[in-house]
Amino acid sequence: MAEVMIAMKNLTKVYKSMGDEVQALRGVSLNIDKGESVAVMGQSGSGKSTLLSILGALNPPTSGSVEVDGIDVYALSQEKRADFRREYLGFVFQQFQLIPYLTALENVMLPLTTVKKSNKEKREMAGSVLCRVGLAGKMNRLPNQLSGGEQERVAIARAIVNEPPVLLADEPTGSLDTKTGDEIMALFQRLNEDGLTVLMVTHNPENTRYMSRTIIMKDGRLCTDKAELLQLVSAGKR
Amino acid sequence: MQLYHIALNNIRRRKAKMLFVLLGLLIGIATMVSVYGVVEAMRTEMTRQVAKFGANVIIMPDAGELTFSYGGITLPAVLFDVEQLSGEDVAAIENIPSREVIRAVAPKLLGLATAGGGHPGDAEGQNVVVVGVNPQQEFMVKPWLRLRSEEEMYSESGNNTEGTEPAAEKEMDFAMLDLAREDLSRLVLSDEQILVGSNLAAALGVMEGDLLTLSGREFQVFAVLKDSGSAEDEQILLNLSAAQALLGRPDQVTLIEMAADYSLGSEEVLLAELQEALPNVEVTSLRQEALRRDEMITRLVRFGTSVSVLILFVGMLVVGLTMSGAVRERTREIGIFRAIGFRKADVVKIILLEGLIVSLFGGMLGYFAGMAVAYYAGPLLADMSIQVPWRLDLFGLSVLLAILISLLAGIIPARQAVKLDPAEALRFI
Repeated sequence: MAEVMIAMKNLTKVYKSMGDEVQALRGVSLNIDKGESVAVMGQSGSGKSTLLSILGALNPPTSGSVEVDGIDVYALSQEKRADFRREYLGFVFQQFQLIPYLTALENVMLPLTTVKKSNKEKREMAGSVLCRVGLAGKMNRLPNQLSGGEQERVAIARAIVNEPPVLLADEPTGSLDTKTGDEIMALFQRLNEDGLTVLMVTHNPENTRYMSRTIIMKDGRLCTDKAELLQLVSAGKR
Repeated sequence: MQLYHIALNNIRRRKAKMLFVLLGLLIGIATMVSVYGVVEAMRTEMTRQVAKFGANVIIMPDAGELTFSYGGITLPAVLFDVEQLSGEDVAAIENIPSREVIRAVAPKLLGLATAGGGHPGDAEGQNVVVVGVNPQQEFMVKPWLRLRSEEEMYSESGNNTEGTEPAAEKEMDFAMLDLAREDLSRLVLSDEQILVGSNLAAALGVMEGDLLTLSGREFQVFAVLKDSGSAEDEQILLNLSAAQALLGRPDQVTLIEMAADYSLGSEEVLLAELQEALPNVEVTSLRQEALRRDEMITRLVRFGTSVSVLILFVGMLVVGLTMSGAVRERTREIGIFRAIGFRKADVVKIILLEGLIVSLFGGMLGYFAGMAVAYYAGPLLADMSIQVPWRLDLFGLSVLLAILISLLAGIIPARQAVKLDPAEALRFI
């Protein structure tokens, strides 16, 4: 039996704004096994980004719990949660979110900034990860000197430089052309094959081809409608 | 990669904003340094000028209404006949707690003697004022006193100077006021030697080395005093003990002049202690003029301090507002830092480090700018002939102050950064 890496139990999230309440998650329970790759799909406002932020230890749920590798994430203090993010999670954000005044190498070194390692070690680690994502010759370029695909690769390198067990991605191909998007998805697939547990929020059904499982969210719940699932999966195979 | 790399890179990217912060600090620090530099230089100049007045405390017997004027100092006329001050009183001054404030104590005995008989043709039976003094202390309280060298003496009297060498040990031409007046150690008179005022020397026809009879006793002219336009031009100075013997008034002192340095202690305390030590005498301070100037400086210091504090405060606001704006602009960036595992303290460190780096430069440049303003514009601003020295001690103070300001100004932006919700910053919500 596969080992559970992520266990979400009965998650709810209510946002309050100007006296109004918005129910973003309505009791989501989900287990993701170690080494699994999961695509989360759904329309805008379905709660998939909220789910990702809660799983990413950035957004406490209104109720319910999240365990990653047996750690109850929201039982940790805020500062411990920061340490947890650094050690357990790699984030690939929408639109890359690179720091514009740092080179590709420095961007990748960012998660190592507060780690007790020599600069040389940090440089070597970041350099080797950049080689792994195919950017060996562009380490000293600033983000605005890189193409969209290259920036995405830097963002992925930054997410995995700490060798976290879980990789979270939010619309990683949203701002890329189809060919580059496919290359990036192939990279995610390779990382997953290397043992990383991947959870990706995506709008693009094509991306589900590269993932071992797809879940659909609708109105803050996991969708169990088989017809809808089939429709999405077949769209992804076209 | 360390936190300071991030801070340095961000400074490089936001040059214009950082320049603004730098200017805010620079102007504040420069104002403080220049005001302080000018005021301190003014204070030094004032002290120098006050010192130039020489004696600033006079101790006289508490006497009746009949007065006698001596060098601008009003003396009771009866003093010449009545013993009122003595060597004991001088000793009492040396024992007061504030004695470190006193730069010199110059007791003196004034009297009249009959000069003449030293050389053929000398004026016979001329009454002269003799003043018994401690020569070194006297010269300390009267910085204008100088000895005339032999050379000057001869050229002035029209004699041939050939074959005469000025005695080196008597060349005490203090071109500039020197409070220490180290040369004074060479001014040692024996009880048979006298110093003669320039006008009196001319009237008596004596010069250095000559013999002069005073009330039947023979003295050698140690030196003639240079023209000073003061009462000493008409007097004969000799050792206090010699004067006491000559005038037949052993252990008597007519008055005591003192030079006090009020930068070392309080004037009020000194006067009170003197009055307590010498209950039956009149202690007068000649500091009215000095006090007036001191008050002016105090007002200037207050004004300068207020302006400096105000400008520093404005500088701090500029720094704070600019840093706060920078934090708002970097919301997303800070969200990324937090999302990839930076602790709140790490984010605060980045913000404060940026302020620290800029303030280091602001402090240093502010110091140099301030000193330059004080150095070049100081004399104009103060309307005085002052020389503002480059104060290295202010350098450290400037940098420290700039750092303190940036840290204080950075508190609010740092709190803003810490309060940022990373999920919101990354638009997950």
